[in-house]
Amino acid sequence: MSLLVQRSDVGEFRRSYKWMALVVILAFLVILGRVFQLQIIQGDDYREEARHNIIFEVRLATTRGIVRDSQGRVLSANRPSYNVYVVPSRLDMNETWPKLVQYLELGPEERERIEKRLEEILSDPRTDRSARKFQQILIKEDVSRDVVATLKTHDETLRGVDVVTVPIRYYPNGDLGSHLLGYMAQIDGETLARRRSEGYSEGDRIGAAGIERAWESHLRGTRGWEKVVVDARGQRRTGPEVERLIDEPRRLDPVPGRDLRLTIDIEIEQAIERAMRGHVAGAVAVVDVRTGRVLGLYSKPSYDSNALSGGGGIEALRATYRRLVSDPLMPLLDKTTSGAYPPGSTFKPFSALAALEDHLLDSKTRIKCRGHYELGKRMFKCTQVHDSVNMHDALVQSCNVYFYQLAELTGMDRIAKIAMDFGLGSKTGIGVNPEASGRIPTHAWTTLRHKGQFRVGYTLNAAIGQGSSTVTILQLAMAYAALANGGTLYAPQIVHAVETSDGAVVQEFSPRVRRTISVKPEHLTLINKALEGVVNEEKGTAYKERLPDADIAGKTGTAQTSRSSRGIDPSRLWYFHRDHAWFAGFAPAKSPEIAIVVLVEHGGAGGRAAAPVAMRIARDYQRIQAARLESKAAQRASSTGK
Amino acid sequence: MIDSADSYGLRVRERFDWPLFISASLIVVLGMVNLYSATSVYTGALAEVYVNQLYSLVAGGILAFAVASIDYRHFERLGYVLYTAGVVLLLLVLVLGRDIRGAARWISLAGFQFQPSEFMKLSLIVGVGKAIHEDPRSDGRTLRNLVAPLGLALLPTLLILRQPDLGTSILLMLIFGSIMALLRWQPKTVLFILAVLACGIPLGWLYGLKDYQRQRITSFLDPEADLQGAGWHAHHARVAIGNGGVFGQGFLQGTQNQFKFLPDQYSDFPYAVLAEEWGFVGSFVLIGLYTFLSLWSIRIASQAKDRFGAVVAIGVGAMIFWHAVVNLGMVLGMLPVVGATLPLFSYGGSSAITILIGIGLLMNVSMRRNHFTAARDLLMR
Repeated sequence: MSLLVQRSDVGEFRRSYKWMALVVILAFLVILGRVFQLQIIQGDDYREEARHNIIFEVRLATTRGIVRDSQGRVLSANRPSYNVYVVPSRLDMNETWPKLVQYLELGPEERERIEKRLEEILSDPRTDRSARKFQQILIKEDVSRDVVATLKTHDETLRGVDVVTVPIRYYPNGDLGSHLLGYMAQIDGETLARRRSEGYSEGDRIGAAGIERAWESHLRGTRGWEKVVVDARGQRRTGPEVERLIDEPRRLDPVPGRDLRLTIDIEIEQAIERAMRGHVAGAVAVVDVRTGRVLGLYSKPSYDSNALSGGGGIEALRATYRRLVSDPLMPLLDKTTSGAYPPGSTFKPFSALAALEDHLLDSKTRIKCRGHYELGKRMFKCTQVHDSVNMHDALVQSCNVYFYQLAELTGMDRIAKIAMDFGLGSKTGIGVNPEASGRIPTHAWTTLRHKGQFRVGYTLNAAIGQGSSTVTILQLAMAYAALANGGTLYAPQIVHAVETSDGAVVQEFSPRVRRTISVKPEHLTLINKALEGVVNEEKGTAYKERLPDADIAGKTGTAQTSRSSRGIDPSRLWYFHRDHAWFAGFAPAKSPEIAIVVLVEHGGAGGRAAAPVAMRIARDYQRIQAARLESKAAQRASSTGK
Repeated sequence: MIDSADSYGLRVRERFDWPLFISASLIVVLGMVNLYSATSVYTGALAEVYVNQLYSLVAGGILAFAVASIDYRHFERLGYVLYTAGVVLLLLVLVLGRDIRGAARWISLAGFQFQPSEFMKLSLIVGVGKAIHEDPRSDGRTLRNLVAPLGLALLPTLLILRQPDLGTSILLMLIFGSIMALLRWQPKTVLFILAVLACGIPLGWLYGLKDYQRQRITSFLDPEADLQGAGWHAHHARVAIGNGGVFGQGFLQGTQNQFKFLPDQYSDFPYAVLAEEWGFVGSFVLIGLYTFLSLWSIRIASQAKDRFGAVVAIGVGAMIFWHAVVNLGMVLGMLPVVGATLPLFSYGGSSAITILIGIGLLMNVSMRRNHFTAARDLLMR
């Protein structure tokens, strides 16, 4: 074939070339336009996003404030907890994993469980950073320092194993004062939703009870952050050329939380704990009558705040929690403020005061006690036959009949008014744990309760602290403090001062008077004399339990909890049907410093069960004070001697 | 009429197409520089990738020179043989193909792995070129004239769809369509073909595609819908390109690349690496090179001595053009993510060798272009 013939054949194509060139030029112009749009018009946005992709703000933990007692001894602090993590994508299952198992001393069951989980994660087909194989998986929490040391020495051969240190709340006194101090827990979804604006996030620990919860905002501190460079797999990159990519500001330092100094004295707490050893359940409050400061607040049974704060791992925590919740003695309940109990005879001083204040009954008037009192068809019992008693005798011997007649004369509302003046039946405002308000029945309330049928019998019961009356341990302590200090009702105070971590006082709280109760001093003297008689007179209900070196005045109480318990030998009753034993009083008797209220749950007679506890606390208090005075004097002597 | 071997050889050497050689070489050099950055992310293990690519380019270059030095009329003579060889290789893939990511596209031959579907592009160009060469017409063609070439194109396309490899199938049809656009058709035939395409595309969508293929295309239509899944690759590629700005972040300084946000950054997304590190300036140079190469192929076709030469030049030019457009469109988020390499720039042995052989064919046609056309061009300048 000749070239000429072939060339003419090409003529068919000629017209197409121009169009093709046009298509080529247009196509590449469109592409170039798109490149222009991405790189030049939107370049800044994408640069920002690219930066955002690699720069992460790592949170810097802050240290929670330390809680100390009135003498500066640590009640709750922080310690490091070492948690071991692995990153599955970096972990060698054949070489590294068996070694790690050996170092951590994992049991075969645990090992199998974790291996199963790791295999599951490794089979995840995704390759981007959201895949779990690139993230840390928790293997064991709170390993010992020895294990950490072993892991550190074998660091070279343990690729993909990380030890992360997190601060854990630590309570050096274990379960002593745990209700008061509370504990820490991982924040739950509901709380998180409410408080996210305050800077909480998933996995944070938050005060779950007691001081830890009530003073959370002071103790917590403010978290800081630091910018770091992380690649698409979530791995951190370091080095000078990487640091260059980080923009200013690079870091915000965390601010440590505030420390708290409580009014609580741990030695008194220990004294209470010792005194309560013979009893299964109960609560004690010790208050300074001159200031309203709470020196000791004790609820039994208690729990170990350390176990609940999650140091030992989630499994241990769950087990502890399950045990505590199912315990019928309700260890999680702060019985000093959250539980309301019938006050029994410890209420009688207030009934007596009501009668005296309104001049309805002369204290010298004698009433005959035959062991019972008939009202209409009903019979109201006394503890025994007291024969002829005046007010002093009636309080000392706890004669019910005297108070039945007193109640009839005085009426429910007058008694209720005095009781309420003393703060009974209303919240004290201590602000630590949820507070029960208790109840002091009035005429109107009782009528309503019984569908318009008011009976005098209700008044009789109210006068001896039975029936519908309930109070909390702390309320009663504040009321007895008011009896002891001449009628000043203080608000209970538990935090003495807020301090910075280096000891500077940020805020100091002074005693707060709730009200000055208008009762005649001679009436108070009369009552207090009777309370002294309870312990020191031969017929007194607590006389038999008195301690030679405990100077204390007070009133015993035996509060009925179950109607079926009447007339049965208390030692043979089912535990939960036994009466509550009370003792409420103050010490020293002549110049009171502290008010003590003891409740022994289902302890039986107040004189026998609760009074000895109070006596021992009073004795120990006096010893502690004496020892402190002595050491102070010794210090002064040594400092002046120099 | 053929000149004596000596003077012919001399003339051919004088006519060496330097613009073609230089533009292709520039893309290769840019590609190797870029591959260095793309693989530097993974220390050690992927140095192998770099060396492999170097071997492929050397092998491809030698083949290209070999192909350029044999007069293309020999290829015309062997047109159907080459075509059949390509189809046989595709059949072999279906029988012994190696499964990679759920698709069998590779076969091993004497220790080397290659993708016959890449070589099929050249086989098809040569096969269709032969068919058109032997069927000259001066008046408009009708549907009847389409049957034979369409059959040649559909057979390998369907075989490749079976692998499955949607991207290569589409590219094969685009190359074929470009060659067909070279011919003169009756207007009613053009209308009919357009109507068939309008009906065929929805049907193909419903029955021809697999779920993951449909998903890729829908994720393109709504790119922000699934950032963790199918849209992740495309999104981070766009971020990388935008991050480049006007002058780029500098060589080895692109954070999207260095911090592993780019997927397949050396095979399918190397342009994103270049755009991030060299910015709009780098993009302009690369796109300019592809534009030049595409237009130069058209020029070579227009000066071709015969129909076969023109078809081969347009076919190879279309291969380069469509590869570049589909890849860039995909990386820029203008087209769905289908696997198409950036010619001479992407990592990939089969692709690099195929394109280099294609360049050799272009050179071949260019060196043996028509005196008359060349002289006319000279006059028109």
